Amino acid sequence: MLKRELKVNLKSFIIWTSILLGMFLIVYLMYPAIINSGSIDAMDEMMNMFPDEMLKAFNMDISSMDSAYGWLKTEGFVFVYLIVGVYASIMGSNILLKEESEKTIEYLNSLPVKRRDILKSKVICSIIYIILMIILMGIFNYIGLELSGDFDRLQFLLLSITPLFISLPLFGINLFISTFFKKTKKTFGIALGIAFLSYFLQILSEMSEEVEFLKYFTVYTLGDLRNVIVDISINPLFILISFILTILFIGLSFIKYERKELV
Amino acid sequence: MKKDNIVIEINNLKKYYGKIRGVEDVSLKINSGEVYGFIGPNGAGKSTTIRILMGLINKTGGEVFLNGKELDINDVFIKKEIGYLPSEVNLYDDLTVKEILDYHESFYDKNINKRRKELVKLFLLDESKKIEDLSLGNSKKLGIVLALMHSPKILILDEATSGLDPIMQNTFFDLLLEEKKKGTTILYSTHVLSEISKICDRVGFIKEGKIIKEDSVSNLEKENITYLTISSSEISKIKNELDLKIILEEENKIKFINNLSPDILIKKLSKYKIDKLLVEEISIEDLFIEYYK
Repeated sequence: MLKRELKVNLKSFIIWTSILLGMFLIVYLMYPAIINSGSIDAMDEMMNMFPDEMLKAFNMDISSMDSAYGWLKTEGFVFVYLIVGVYASIMGSNILLKEESEKTIEYLNSLPVKRRDILKSKVICSIIYIILMIILMGIFNYIGLELSGDFDRLQFLLLSITPLFISLPLFGINLFISTFFKKTKKTFGIALGIAFLSYFLQILSEMSEEVEFLKYFTVYTLGDLRNVIVDISINPLFILISFILTILFIGLSFIKYERKELV
Repeated sequence: MKKDNIVIEINNLKKYYGKIRGVEDVSLKINSGEVYGFIGPNGAGKSTTIRILMGLINKTGGEVFLNGKELDINDVFIKKEIGYLPSEVNLYDDLTVKEILDYHESFYDKNINKRRKELVKLFLLDESKKIEDLSLGNSKKLGIVLALMHSPKILILDEATSGLDPIMQNTFFDLLLEEKKKGTTILYSTHVLSEISKICDRVGFIKEGKIIKEDSVSNLEKENITYLTISSSEISKIKNELDLKIILEEENKIKFINNLSPDILIKKLSKYKIDKLLVEEISIEDLFIEYYK
């Protein structure tokens, strides 16, 4: 079953990973030209015109965009979080429910398999692809950065791991939500909504102290990008919360799915 | 109660989807090696009963036993013994016929490849075709092959022949008779009544979620019910004398369902002047129509 899941979901994995890596490829190809042309000064000047809140939201107050690595730490990782988060959300909302939505569950259920084994193979497949996407992105960026100039390797390693702490809970939450539905049409919108809303809440929470409390309502806080950039360390509490949320929602999905009406 | 010989046992099964009735009160027992016809019009509760039996939906009340054990949706051992054909066959569109058959094979420890080849040949399936390109009839044929290829001891078939051409229907019935000889227990749900007398031992009629009649096919065929058409100038008196379920009424002529034995009927009618009398045998199809009126 796992083999089949991996095969079925390979295509979307390739598409999403290509979007991510394609974006980086363009940056690595363009950056040398930007730096040499002196446009960086113009860009920095433009950045100075932005309000501090905005710069903070994109980590531009603690990092400069004067190199490919600088871009990665600011805008780059913001996009990574969004793309990996959306991918994990869609996986969660779709991978299990698709069987019911396309009515193939009637066949799958007739096979000598336990319901928990059906769900287990889907969860393992999703986690494999989410981790693989993060690893591939890390390797790709490492090569790109090696060719582009000097960078802090430990900081880069920690930064590359952080999307995992966002994507796994997002996957779990969306998987659990999907166990309340019968059609993927409905959950697809919810998945995108959760990913984008969480993302914007996190950006807003960074902008002003008045709305800082919003960070408690978004899993994107668990990425803790600022702390990684400044302190070159990952807060273990965030790792713990991330794993607890993931295990909690996946566990609830197993409980709910065991009694779910499948047709 | 000894349940050794009973393969499928359902007692007072009830299923409600919120306030909507799925089944109200279904009880049936199917013995080992028996072919049980489950008859009813659309919406009567056939598929709901079958889906509970397959563990796809939860029952609201009642009991379900398979091989004497209470239904457990995670009992892999009993699932290995079941072959299921849903009324609509929905399979993975991205796979070819060969790939889904290989996939199916991978779930069974025993070697089922020989049976698979026999069935593919019997139903003239092209293994290289993609599932998304299969016609309705070919999807059904593939569904039948998947339900049978692991040589299950219990077959649950829901509207099995819909979409099959007459030749393939005959092939399918021959196959079921072969399975019957082997001792396979079959629950055969349909609304096509001509199929029942071909293969079933017993029949249960389901109406509005309840079993309203259950009997052996041989008894149903022997049942003393006929259609009677009488032409007589004394038709109104005959109508008063006999408590009739009239189907057709014209001037001095009536057609009705008769369940009196021939000798009683002759005695009663002998008092009147009868111009014309026509007795017609009632088929299972007619019985069905009568039950569901």
